[in-house]
Amino acid sequence: MTSAALSPGMAALVLFGGFFLMLALRVPVAFSLGLACLPILVIEPRLSPMMLFNETFKAYNSFILLAVPFFLLTANLMSVGGITDRLVRLSRAMVGNFPGALAQINVVLSVFFAGISGSSTADAASQSKIFIDAQTREGYDLSFSIAITAVSAVLAVIIPPSILMIVWGGVISVSIGALYLAGILPGLLIAGAQMVTVHVYAVKRKYPVYPRATVKEFFVSIWDSIPALTTPFIIVGGILLGWFTATESAAIAVIYAALLSIFVYREMDMKRLYGALVDTGRLAGVALFCVGTASAFGWLLAYYQIPKALLSNVSSWGLDITGVGFFIAFVFLVVGCFLDAIPAIIIVGTTLQPLAESVHMHPIQFAIIGIVSLAFGLVTPPYGMCLMIACAVARVRLRYALKDTLIMLVPMLLVLVGLILWPEVVLWLPKLISPELVK
Amino acid sequence: MKKILDRYHTLLTWLMVATVVVLLVPVSLQIFSRFTELIPRYLWTEEASRFLFIWLIMLGAMIGVREGTHFEVDLWPELGARGNALLKIVSNLFVLVFALVFSWWGVGFTQFGWNQTSEIADLPMWMIFIAWPVSGLTWVVFLGESFHDNVLVLMGRAPQ
Repeated sequence: MTSAALSPGMAALVLFGGFFLMLALRVPVAFSLGLACLPILVIEPRLSPMMLFNETFKAYNSFILLAVPFFLLTANLMSVGGITDRLVRLSRAMVGNFPGALAQINVVLSVFFAGISGSSTADAASQSKIFIDAQTREGYDLSFSIAITAVSAVLAVIIPPSILMIVWGGVISVSIGALYLAGILPGLLIAGAQMVTVHVYAVKRKYPVYPRATVKEFFVSIWDSIPALTTPFIIVGGILLGWFTATESAAIAVIYAALLSIFVYREMDMKRLYGALVDTGRLAGVALFCVGTASAFGWLLAYYQIPKALLSNVSSWGLDITGVGFFIAFVFLVVGCFLDAIPAIIIVGTTLQPLAESVHMHPIQFAIIGIVSLAFGLVTPPYGMCLMIACAVARVRLRYALKDTLIMLVPMLLVLVGLILWPEVVLWLPKLISPELVK
Repeated sequence: MKKILDRYHTLLTWLMVATVVVLLVPVSLQIFSRFTELIPRYLWTEEASRFLFIWLIMLGAMIGVREGTHFEVDLWPELGARGNALLKIVSNLFVLVFALVFSWWGVGFTQFGWNQTSEIADLPMWMIFIAWPVSGLTWVVFLGESFHDNVLVLMGRAPQ
């Protein structure tokens, strides 16, 4: 980079300085990322604002990202088509007799939901509408209700299918099928940690319990939910068997959810369908627009080799594989506070990959550590999408539910520590089911 | 004026919904053609879905500016109506710069694609590239409306 007008240090200052200044002024994240690039594009004689167009075009012109609107649409169809109602009934039959029943149902429903949709934001949006109001009416504290809805929504990107895994697999070339299998156990562990947290809260605060479901109710609710519960097997199985690609599997999920809603459960009408489509387009548009400007930002960082300069220090620390694991989790957790997960994978994931390779960390473990950390970023302030959505539905400001959210994060972070210390938790299932993908 | 903007907003929403629905067609065709002999294995499906997808994103981003759904980070304590309006004017000025960049250089971007066609389906590329200047101009219009409303709030004359 001898011919560059700006030194890497200067460029980093302009990029990050501009970005954070605009964030502080409440400029939307997507525009802040794009605008931060602008001064450099004007100053640097070899670059021009045209680059902004090329990079955003390249980012959007991607078959992989198409999975995002499809998974959002699946989630929205589930809510308007009666699938979610059946799953709520099933969850109630399963955990309704536990203390804090409704909050436990909230977590269990998120697990089912995660197995069908790959989008945490969609999970947070639909479950906030179902649970926050219902929980407060039963005497749960509002901040607890918001927090548990938001933190359980992060399961959607950890349990397959998952938008983040598709993006990770596309950007860093790891088998998406293997990532899907690897996410199942960590996802269930995190759900378990959340249920323990709810239990402790519920016992301490005497939250209400439902009567135990009869055996008949239990089996009826399972029978009702079977068509919906087959979805994850179709998606994950279809990908592993090579029937369709990850993006196509998202389209399959949409079609399957639509067929269920129209022909099996028969609860969809045109008005609600239109609403589901508008919500999908709206959320997909703003979320993905940000991916484009983040790509431009990431491209400039790479142009000045800023990530390399930042990492050269770290490699000299002589960390072992566990140390690198903690470092990677830490970086993703911090970045996740300020950036959406998809741009974070594009900018940070590719940067950290050589570091993970240098200590021979398994690419799948690297991916799961990254994705789980970024998923936690969905509920950490100031930029935690799921928490923002849950607070918006409850019409309170983000900091209102902050304390309970952070308390609930502690057991989840312990699971993350476990994933770093024991790679087998991540690798066991992919090795068992499709060893050829794990090498 | 408000009415015209409302109509334009509705039109954009309709187009966005249409892209979401139509997007399903090429991807499904792609899957089904692999398993049945009923329809040939089209090559254009992958490209067509990508191009529709670009329009979906840009339409969503256009509407997002009027609806205020673009995600922002909120570090401020509770501000009054006037404080919020003032901050909104400042942040909108930044967005306006971006909108002008998209409008101005976007025209060049579209001209660049004027004589190009796509690799597989031979679609004219300007039909894709024009999404950028259209977004830029749409943002300028929507931002103008927002400036107008916020200035009214700032002067203590909130609309209705």
